[in-house]
Amino acid sequence: MTDLNLAQRFSIIGLNAQSSLYMTNVKKVSVRCMAAAVILDAYLDNAFEKTGNRLTLHSDVLNQADIMPYQEMILKVFFNKQAEANGDLKWWLKKASSLSKKKLKSFELTITDSLKEMGMLEEIPSLLGSDLYYVSAGVAVKDYRSNIEEYSRISESVRAEILEEGSVTDDVICMIWLLRESGCMHDFFSQNELAKVNTRMNDLFHNTLLAQELFPIHIRHGVEIGIKQYLQMKSRFAKTTVGTSINFFFPMLERSKAVFIETEAWFSNSSQRLNDVVQRLESYGHEVNVLEKGTIPTIKIDNLVYEAVPHVVHKQIPIQGVRLVPRLPV
Amino acid sequence: MSRQRSMEAILASELVTIGELVRITNTRYSTLKYYTEEGMLPFEQAEENLTRRYKRVKTVERIHYIKELKTRGLSIPQIKETLGINKAEK
Repeated sequence: MTDLNLAQRFSIIGLNAQSSLYMTNVKKVSVRCMAAAVILDAYLDNAFEKTGNRLTLHSDVLNQADIMPYQEMILKVFFNKQAEANGDLKWWLKKASSLSKKKLKSFELTITDSLKEMGMLEEIPSLLGSDLYYVSAGVAVKDYRSNIEEYSRISESVRAEILEEGSVTDDVICMIWLLRESGCMHDFFSQNELAKVNTRMNDLFHNTLLAQELFPIHIRHGVEIGIKQYLQMKSRFAKTTVGTSINFFFPMLERSKAVFIETEAWFSNSSQRLNDVVQRLESYGHEVNVLEKGTIPTIKIDNLVYEAVPHVVHKQIPIQGVRLVPRLPV
Repeated sequence: MSRQRSMEAILASELVTIGELVRITNTRYSTLKYYTEEGMLPFEQAEENLTRRYKRVKTVERIHYIKELKTRGLSIPQIKETLGINKAEK
């Protein structure tokens, strides 16, 4: 059990299941909030000199022995050959979260390296990268996977503190704000719980100084959040019974929910076809277990269960294979 | 400002909150809340609407014991019976 700071905790939550190789819009939203979390860490650790609502930070902070490379990267942005930087909390958070795409990528690599070293994050091959179109185009797709125990420890302790009666720590106030700004609230709270969270946030706003300062600040970029919500909606629709059927015939709607794996040859029996698909998936680095054989076999790939539906894609020549459709809950 | 306690501080204290129990036992919040509501995890609460506090050592032991009983295939009513909890105690 390691004690992690706010930026590390939020990164474990925000990066899980995100593409590791490309700066997608959804990931950009998370990384911007991770950068803001570095400022909040400094704020909670009393690194700032406070005069009224102005926060001052001296460049000496960059020379501290225990500063992490990813913290240094964010804080450096504020000292342009100046000995100190000052502004209100909103200014600090806005500036940290408005980094260029290049700087965000570099920050992401630095913080993920430290999390990987701690065994809190790993990169795994994405199933989407095994799709015929991605393989033939030579596009590699990898995803981040957070340490499952730590992910659950962080998310469940935030849930416990905010949904339970009693006091709420500053760390959780910051975490709730980060979840709100990154558009992740719906991933952690049910609709009923969200109503309770809203009431609690309102209470916190009236009763705690930190919430009064933090909750009115918005660092989210409208377009990015809009795209994220649209993609989430599309993904949710593709998981419904109707959505699965539509997506099967029009996979471009949500390709990750209808991955096409081509087979080496035209197989006349389902068992040979299944063996070929399993071999192909394993060669791409996935862990595959066959749960049920038959015309439409059920297979477990990296902890998710799929139905492998035989399918033919008609191009210049017909290509035989299977389409992997996530199995709907019974 | 009140900061989240470090793991070292939690493991040294006599009383812990439900959020801290989640951290040290890595059990889901909803599970602990359910156990609490079923009277399986005794707690102290100074006043209504204040934080519930659990005796760390006894509660962690009990959570592990409940998990063990569940692995053995016992249902919640059977576990409650084993723990000697009846409806009047709730």
